[in-house]
Amino acid sequence: MTLWFLRGLRTGIVTTRYPAELDAWTETLPAPPRFRPELLTEQLADGLVDVCPFGALAREGDELVVDLGACTSCGLCVEHGAGAVVPGTVFELASPRRELLVKRVPIRGGP
Amino acid sequence: MTVSHDGLADELRRRALGLFARSLHIRTVDTGSCAACESEIRLLSAPPYDLHRLGFFFTPSPRHADLLLVTGPAVRAMDIALHKTFVATPDPKAVIAVGACALGGVYHEDRFVHGAVDRVVPVDVYVPGCPPSPIALLQGLLVAVGRLEERVSALSPIVDAGAGP
Repeated sequence: MTLWFLRGLRTGIVTTRYPAELDAWTETLPAPPRFRPELLTEQLADGLVDVCPFGALAREGDELVVDLGACTSCGLCVEHGAGAVVPGTVFELASPRRELLVKRVPIRGGP
Repeated sequence: MTVSHDGLADELRRRALGLFARSLHIRTVDTGSCAACESEIRLLSAPPYDLHRLGFFFTPSPRHADLLLVTGPAVRAMDIALHKTFVATPDPKAVIAVGACALGGVYHEDRFVHGAVDRVVPVDVYVPGCPPSPIALLQGLLVAVGRLEERVSALSPIVDAGAGP
């Protein structure tokens, strides 16, 4: 404690930084899913839109619109996605603008 | 402080929030949340996260606060309370919307809820998650005071074809 105090006086550093590297356990935290466009068919995309209980998914033409802000990381789309949807790992999603949280996934699979 | 995307207004807003870089007092407002977000916010003062080391403190009065952490889908019953809290917070101030409800995910707009916090008060930083982890909240706070850059604009929702299962 005394050493920390003296170091603070000497260097002027009074706080430690936000963790530059996250702890290993944070990998198990729920995070919004990620998508494989080449496995995503239009039929599957419509099914995913229906299965999302929070309206985080929508279909616009040949794109799947994913609203990370509305996503609760519940995993229903991963369960329903037949390999086209995989669990995500990034959970530090703070954004100064709402529209940055809306992502678009092209639908490339299917006939 | 109102939300504006003009370059000059953004710059001014960033500078004003930069004043709080080393000391910021937080008031939480619950607008009908299920208390999962509150539970994560309380954990911020636990030793693994320890927000006090970064200069953040909770305060019981909005008059002493610089930043409002607003959770929940903005129920209409909280309209007056939220407005009074917002007005009582001295300028410059910031508002962080916490959780999927506050961002417009879980509840649609109806007779009882507005459905998103930014329909009621201007929001400076959005922190998604249901509930957001304390680490995500900490990142949101540091983004709000300009000590960290946001990472979400660089995030891709697409997995590369060459990546493993």
